[in-house]
Amino acid sequence: MSTPTTTETAVRAAGIWKVFNQGLTNEVTALQDIDLTVGQGEFVSLIGPSGCGKSTLLRVIADLTDATRGEMEVAGMSAAKAREEQRYGIAFQSAALFDWRTVRRNVELPLELQGWDRAKRHERAMELLEMVQLADFADHRPWELSGGMQQRVAIARSLAVDPPLLLMDEPFGALDEMTRERMQNELLRIREETGKSIIFVTHSIPEAVYLSDRVVVMSPRPGRITDIVDVDLGVRNEDTREAEVFFEGVTAVREALRGRGGGTLRARVGEV
Amino acid sequence: MGGRLRAVWPPVLIAIVFLAAWQILVVVQDIQPYLLPSPTLIATNFFRDLGLMWGATSYTGLTALLGLLFGTMLAIVAALLAQRFIVVNNLVTPLAAGLAAVPIIALTPLLNNMFNITSRTPRVLVTVIIVFFPMFVNVTRGLVQVQPVQLELMRSMNANPRTVLRVLRVPNAIPFFFTGLKIAAPLAVIAALVAEYFGGPQEGLGSRITSAAANTAYGRAWAYVAASIILGLLFYLTVLALEKWTTPWAGHRARP
Repeated sequence: MSTPTTTETAVRAAGIWKVFNQGLTNEVTALQDIDLTVGQGEFVSLIGPSGCGKSTLLRVIADLTDATRGEMEVAGMSAAKAREEQRYGIAFQSAALFDWRTVRRNVELPLELQGWDRAKRHERAMELLEMVQLADFADHRPWELSGGMQQRVAIARSLAVDPPLLLMDEPFGALDEMTRERMQNELLRIREETGKSIIFVTHSIPEAVYLSDRVVVMSPRPGRITDIVDVDLGVRNEDTREAEVFFEGVTAVREALRGRGGGTLRARVGEV
Repeated sequence: MGGRLRAVWPPVLIAIVFLAAWQILVVVQDIQPYLLPSPTLIATNFFRDLGLMWGATSYTGLTALLGLLFGTMLAIVAALLAQRFIVVNNLVTPLAAGLAAVPIIALTPLLNNMFNITSRTPRVLVTVIIVFFPMFVNVTRGLVQVQPVQLELMRSMNANPRTVLRVLRVPNAIPFFFTGLKIAAPLAVIAALVAEYFGGPQEGLGSRITSAAANTAYGRAWAYVAASIILGLLFYLTVLALEKWTTPWAGHRARP
């Protein structure tokens, strides 16, 4: 069940606009008329140069900021309701761990806010730390961990309440290349185990291709979707990174980013 | 352990060299005690009048401690209000800065008149005012300066402002609280001591230094000064120990 293809949708964006400083001289259209549907269990990457609105789009999905116009549906409800009901977990480029909490208590945080009792949240946190292979570090402090380990704690935390959707904003952006590739494999394994839908913001083309079922290509001023590239690499492993089909995917996304569209892989131009 | 020892002995050595040089200077140059008494004379006075030293130090120490406690409590309440209500912040911050600019010397005789000069109250009040500013500024900074990404995380978990305060802002402010306290604690001792220069009960270190100097008992005056230094250090070191004990994460920051 590497790529479950159900008709259920995890996220549905219809005509989303986001305009900053509306009516002022420094008005910026961060998002222009975004239509995007992400299926249940699908892995979708948002890629584009800085200023293309990929992070803004993720924040609108997460209801961390409002859309100026348009309709955002997450897990079959409004984005605001989905946030209130904890229907997504989120991980940022910075692990955003609390220094005063141990690793385990950082993972417990979302459960604590939901009022889980101590024993149950302890058990759940250990389960998640087991999954990200950090059970031995449960009682360590965040600063005692490497950047990659901190990010794994952040991912464990984002999965704490078992939300169906995982939002990730350049989570591996600050890691070195080796760690980064290991984290990518880790993430694919976690996805395999949990069946989560994942929306993943990145500015790395190989990363987007390696991880995703679909790569959403965006361009700036105004931020909009210019292309969506389908990727089908089958089961990923270390050989995949050197496979022909992987490089074809990379080329397709690169050309889409340059605005040529219609790559060699199964790239579909325009809206889906 | 060896590392800690290596950190301790250079300042100790410097202190010994300094005291020895002082002693030699006084003896060789035959400097009179009213100008500068020798370390041995001060030490002799100190240990001979140990009971007096303790009495004066505990009196001033209690004034400083009360001022530190009330000033800190007041600052925490003000900081909590300031982070919650931007209006309060705009009102209190200039007020606190104004208080910091008030020269304690100008204020003390007036407070002595306003409150009972024979009591400890005006001195504690002076200390409260001195303590308030560094505590308020630092605690407010700690409550307000949280990482934006941590605020977004709290919002994604649907946390209300009270939860954000409890789970994020207050723990975030604790290292800032200690930064303030490390400034405020020695200041409290200075304030409590200087406040005694303007009349009132004569038990404290400030009063004793003045009267000993007036009676040409220079060795004793300097012995009280030494006791004042010890009191200030005691306050500072207590704060350091408290900080180490309660915030093992201070000085550490998880890399982004």
